[in-house]
Amino acid sequence: MRIRSRSTQNPVIPTASMADIAFLLIIFFMVTISFQVDKTQVVLPKTTVRSEVPKKSAYISITEQGQIRVSSGEEISVPVPGPEDVLSFATGVVAQDPEKPFVLKADRQVPYRYVDKVIDALEQSKARVIYLLSDQKTVNSKTELEQSTGGSPQQ
Amino acid sequence: MKFERETVSDEIPTSSMADIAFLLIIYFMVTTTFAATRGLDFALPKNEQNPPVVEKEDSVLIEIRPSGQLIVDRKPMQLSQVLDYIKPKLERNPMKPVIIKPDPDAPYGDMVDVFDELRQADKKIGIEIKNISIPTEREIEKFWY
Repeated sequence: MRIRSRSTQNPVIPTASMADIAFLLIIFFMVTISFQVDKTQVVLPKTTVRSEVPKKSAYISITEQGQIRVSSGEEISVPVPGPEDVLSFATGVVAQDPEKPFVLKADRQVPYRYVDKVIDALEQSKARVIYLLSDQKTVNSKTELEQSTGGSPQQ
Repeated sequence: MKFERETVSDEIPTSSMADIAFLLIIYFMVTTTFAATRGLDFALPKNEQNPPVVEKEDSVLIEIRPSGQLIVDRKPMQLSQVLDYIKPKLERNPMKPVIIKPDPDAPYGDMVDVFDELRQADKKIGIEIKNISIPTEREIEKFWY
C-alpha cells in the first residue's frame, strides 16, 4: 500500500472577506448616522411620557444661565443674543417649512421666564409642534422627586 | 551578462483594504451620537386671532411657585395628589381645561414634571386630559387682565 504524500498547508488566515464585512459595517453606520446639530451641555428634565422627535427638527437650546442657541436642523447651532431673536429665527424657519417641528432643549434648572419667552416667540411665528426634550424618568428619579418637598427638587 | 526577469504579481493588493475599512468604521462609530431624541410633544394653538376663550373659573389652575410648590386652585398640593383632585372634575366635564401657570422664577423642570403628570392621566386615573394649556406671560396679560 502506498502512503499518500502529506499535503502541505500554508499557515495563512483567510482575510479576503474581512474588507467585505468591514464595508458592510460602514454602510450600516453611514445609514444610521445623524449628526447632532446642537452640542450644548444641559441637564434635561426627566419625564415618563416621551415621543420620538422627528429627524431634521429645528433646535432651540437654553442653558442654565439663559444662553440661547438655535439651529434650523440643517447646520450646527449658533448662539443668539436674546429671546427676541428667536422670533425672527423661528419666523424664517416656519416660512420655509410650515410643518417644521421645533425641539426645545432646556436645562431643568433654567428659570421659566426664558422658556416662556421662547414658547411665546414660537407661538407668534405660527410654529405647529414643540417637543420638550427630556430624559427617561426611572423609578429612582421618581422617588427622589417625591422625597423632596413640593414634589419637585429645591433650587 | 545575464538578465533576470522580474515577475510581476497579477493580483490586486487587497491586504490593506480591511485596514482602510476599519479606520472608516472607527470614524463613524466615534462621530455617531445616540443622542436623547425623545421628548414631550405639544401642539401650539393654530389661530392667534381666535384663541379658545378659557374662563379662569371654569378651569383647573395649577400654579408653580419658585420653590417648586404647587398651588392648585389656590390650595397647596403635592404633585402626586393633583390627578386625584382633577379626576371628579373631569368626570363631570371631560373637556375641562387644565392650565399650568409657572412663576417666571420657577425652574423649567418643575413645569415639565407637572405637564408629564397631566399627560399620564390616561394611565393613572383612566381619563385623558384633553385640554392642557400653558399660557405664556403675553397671553395672560392680553386675555386675562
